[in-house]
Amino acid sequence: MALFQRPRAPRPPIGHTLIASLLLIALALSACASSTSGGGASSTSAPIRIGFSITETGPDAAPAKFDLQGYQLGADTINAQGGLLGRKVQLVYYDDQGSASTAVQLYQRLITSDKVDLLVGPYQTDLTSAIAPLVTRYKMAMPAMAANLEPFSGRYPYLVQSITQTPRYMIPVIDLAATKGYKTLALLIQDTAFPLELAQGIKQEAAARGIRVVFEATYPADTNDFTALVLKAGAAKPDMIIGATYLADAEGIIRAARASNVNAKLFAFSIGPVEPEFGSALANAANGILGTTLWFPTLKTAGNAEFVQNFRAHFGRDPDYHAAMAYATMQALAAAVRMAGSLDQTKIRDAYLKLDLQTVAGEFKLNNLGQQLGYQAYVLQWQNGKQELVWPPAVATSPVQLPHPNW
Amino acid sequence: MLQLQTYLLLLLTGIMWGGVYLLMASGLNLIYGVMKVVNLAHGDFIVVAGLLAVSLYGAFRAGPALAIPVATLLFLLVGGLIYRGLLARVETTAPQGELRTLLITFGLSSIISNIALLIWGGQYQSVPFFQSAVHLGALFFPESLLVSSLLAFALAFAVQLWLTRTRSGRLVRATAQSELGAASCGLNTGRIRLLTFALGAAMAGAAGALTVVLIPVQAASGGFMTVQAFTLIALGGLGNYLGALLAAILLGVIEVSSSYFLGASAASAVIYVIFILVLIVRPQGLLGQRGRI
Repeated sequence: MALFQRPRAPRPPIGHTLIASLLLIALALSACASSTSGGGASSTSAPIRIGFSITETGPDAAPAKFDLQGYQLGADTINAQGGLLGRKVQLVYYDDQGSASTAVQLYQRLITSDKVDLLVGPYQTDLTSAIAPLVTRYKMAMPAMAANLEPFSGRYPYLVQSITQTPRYMIPVIDLAATKGYKTLALLIQDTAFPLELAQGIKQEAAARGIRVVFEATYPADTNDFTALVLKAGAAKPDMIIGATYLADAEGIIRAARASNVNAKLFAFSIGPVEPEFGSALANAANGILGTTLWFPTLKTAGNAEFVQNFRAHFGRDPDYHAAMAYATMQALAAAVRMAGSLDQTKIRDAYLKLDLQTVAGEFKLNNLGQQLGYQAYVLQWQNGKQELVWPPAVATSPVQLPHPNW
Repeated sequence: MLQLQTYLLLLLTGIMWGGVYLLMASGLNLIYGVMKVVNLAHGDFIVVAGLLAVSLYGAFRAGPALAIPVATLLFLLVGGLIYRGLLARVETTAPQGELRTLLITFGLSSIISNIALLIWGGQYQSVPFFQSAVHLGALFFPESLLVSSLLAFALAFAVQLWLTRTRSGRLVRATAQSELGAASCGLNTGRIRLLTFALGAAMAGAAGALTVVLIPVQAASGGFMTVQAFTLIALGGLGNYLGALLAAILLGVIEVSSSYFLGASAASAVIYVIFILVLIVRPQGLLGQRGRI
């Protein structure tokens, strides 16, 4: 490239066509991102309309899509069984883009202008917390897949929890550890709402089972380097290293532990190993690592095999635990409405609280605050590049492989 | 003795993380140094290159040895096209010029990250390469960290040599010092700016394709990476190569050692406290004008 040249006359400014066309693309993209919506009302058959917002676009869209498909399959199943109160059901939903303020607007719209008959929750605790006051003000009963207990602490009596509660996520890991006779625990906690509440549950259960927490540290969500953290955890010589994590930090901790040769008999993480990307990102290093899941395709819960089969037939892919939880939410909704015998929201809320229902996700049973008591968590382990359910033993697809060998 | 070993490990790990941060900031630094353009899409270039490496791994089980040249060439081209198509078409020198380039690159960042979201989805992705540990005596280092930082320092050294020892590098520096002066001496400053932007983008591409073995990325990670890279080059003195090197090592060592001694939550605060202190005492950055491109 000739850099040393006679300067040319400056180019006259061409019409800003390129900028304009890029702006158009940007506009088109943002339009795609904001205007997807479900079907409107059709008054002829007067179906019961179930409203919700879901994250169809944005970084959280992938798991939320499973929620949506779980809801859709759940509604189809209700209709195949003859509907509710002699009427068909129909879903009315909008894309909240993962934004709490958008979700609030959309639920306002669902309640006041669409006048839907029933509500179910969005994806994520943050969004549920944001819409909770609104839903309560209009006295609409709403099952929500929000794992943290905060929205179900009595302030929002019309919300009920339709997912395993956060403090219980890792109870079976502690149970497994106690069975193996492991005594000490190093706990690494991401400094955000879900892992913090989860860590409280782990500590309580550990104390009850005589397991000592010998190291505990929190770290910010944007941490890149886990070397220092892992070295300090390793220096306490714990039997177990357990992380209250999401995916990226769980990977970071494993990478750092392996590289710094920090060993433990058991490595377990809340969210991370449950994602398929955990295996593809870590390859061999993923093997032997334990994780939590709320559902598994091989579980012998009521109608589970049929659910997996129908889901595959409908959507051409395997369901994950989000899909199962959403499907089970629709099962609970149908049972509550049938029990209430009408669309009276207070009666439906009371029905939810009285329900004791076997769903694909397990037993749906609440306390009088609407907190989920029935749903459990399960332990999975990566073995030979595959996820296997390993604990509790009654539902295991493969025996657990412990202790974790030195790196 | 064991204590001493731990301290040495922390120091060396910190220097290596410094190398990784330097690698991720180099392209931004070059572009700012020569063009006075803060490329707000820089982090998105890194993310897309990383996600591309994930796809190459998924399709061919190919590692960074393939992903780095592919991403480098791709972003050389993309950088050139962006310069020709967008940046060359607006007046960038006037005081409002910097604002215009900020707006353009900000919009670009939004477009790129949303396209990446459509292609790759929002999940964190990474590739399993350079996963084992390297033993140096009694010390263990992650292989991925060692490789990334070695490449980073090599690249920084190569760019330094290019800028100071070659004719084209000197022409670039002349343009950086005074575009008007360079143009009046007969330099084709438009081409030099084109070359700089393309090279800066290519460096972001190379950085992304390599660091994805170390730092999982998702489509929306770009903004944070841009901020991190900008903090680093601002600390070193915008557009200053030696300064960026110094700042990178400082940041890496401070991050790793403060997260060991004070806890990880305090570490991120310490970095920005030091950043603010430096900006109060030396607003021109650690090295300021000395050693500028």
